[in-house]
Amino acid sequence: MDSIIDKIGIVQALWPSLVKGLWMTFQISILAILLGSILGFCLGVAKTLGYFVLEKLINGYLHLLRGSPYLVQLYIIFFVLPSLGISWLQFDGYTAAVVSLSLYTSSYVTEIVASAIFAVPNGQSEAARSVGMTRSQTYRYVVIPQALKLTIPPMASVYVIVIKSTAVLSVIGISELTRQGEVAIMRMPGDIMFIYCLIALFYFLYCYPVLRFSKWAEGKFGSVGDVDH
Amino acid sequence: MSEPMIMIDAVSKTYHLKSRPEPVRALDNVSNHVDSGEVVVVIGPSGSGKSTLLRSLNGLQEVDSGKIVIDGVEVTDKKTDINKLRAKVGMVFQHFNLFQHKTALENIVMPQVIVAKRTREEAEEIANDLLAKVGIPDRGNNYPSMLSGGQQQRVAIARSLAMKPKVMLFDEATSALDPETVGGVLELMRQLAADGMTMAVVTHEMGFAREAADRVIFMDEGRVIEENTPNNFFDNPQSDRAQDFLRQIL
Repeated sequence: MDSIIDKIGIVQALWPSLVKGLWMTFQISILAILLGSILGFCLGVAKTLGYFVLEKLINGYLHLLRGSPYLVQLYIIFFVLPSLGISWLQFDGYTAAVVSLSLYTSSYVTEIVASAIFAVPNGQSEAARSVGMTRSQTYRYVVIPQALKLTIPPMASVYVIVIKSTAVLSVIGISELTRQGEVAIMRMPGDIMFIYCLIALFYFLYCYPVLRFSKWAEGKFGSVGDVDH
Repeated sequence: MSEPMIMIDAVSKTYHLKSRPEPVRALDNVSNHVDSGEVVVVIGPSGSGKSTLLRSLNGLQEVDSGKIVIDGVEVTDKKTDINKLRAKVGMVFQHFNLFQHKTALENIVMPQVIVAKRTREEAEEIANDLLAKVGIPDRGNNYPSMLSGGQQQRVAIARSLAMKPKVMLFDEATSALDPETVGGVLELMRQLAADGMTMAVVTHEMGFAREAADRVIFMDEGRVIEENTPNNFFDNPQSDRAQDFLRQIL
């Protein structure tokens, strides 16, 4: 009984700082998801246009980002870029976090969007072209709407990965959820297990609705008029 | 009739496929023409180049050399506004290719609004009339996945007709259909022919060729082997290759 009261006490004491941490995690992840998705969408569409050089450039970008750990990318953007002495690359922690996480997100979104576009059967564009639509009209009205439906499930998993990746930001001193937890543990080292579980629960409370939402959206937008044959 | 609706002059196309060591000569110096209101049926074994020929007529397939003119507009000229031309040339595909994310009605409305710049109301009115004409007036709100193959092909035909084309191209339009729905689509095509539509039809339906065609073109290995009236072609084929072919399928 005492221990339960004890735990409630801890939760009460830590509540404000953990909520602040969750808010920071939320802000940065939403910004990164938003910016990364916009960038990734543009690059993904560009990759499918059939321009050889453009495609190679985008592939190079993707390989660089996907072939290195996010932590290393974060270090480069936060510690290394400022030392180049270029003024607009002098990021503070918050900006470095958003920029690096957006780039990271974009690398996954690009692949998802490009493969979804390729997955729309060729007959769809042929039909659109044969009634006289231009190439961009075909993309806008026929190919992309169908491709976007296909992106819902993989996009949701990437978003959850991005949300969880914000934990890494604690290393550059961003007071996000994990960082707040670490600070709390310094105050109450005896409750390390309980506090980490509490943090995990906070992440779960954020990620789980995203996955549920994706399931819902998939059912709502993905099933009617699904892409077949 | 001064000029034919479709004029094909010495058209050649060779495919270089990675899967085959030899280049494939899909069209070998093909010349022909289709008059206004004429129904021409192209038949031949698979790989004979008949689909390539049909797809080259609206520029879906680029050709290596030669000239194609439709209604006075040169398809093979790089300067031609191909989108404007395609709006006048309806194409019906083997696999229907209805826009999967749109209802039957929207499939017919969308190209009218986007390409022909009609108002929504006008486009919907035309679409509803066409759905009635192709025999499925109550299917406008269905998505393609909820329609049978035959119904989808009817919608596809209506989608093409909505652009008020001068020519209709049919690329094996009934090959992917269940046997019991083939008849209805063929009947619709016959009706179009009777209404005076200029049509180029690639098909394996010999019954349709015999009844509805004004002229039959038999192709093999990228060349036009024989060209005749349907009755002459089926009853008294001139070339050995056509005789062989007819023996195989009839």
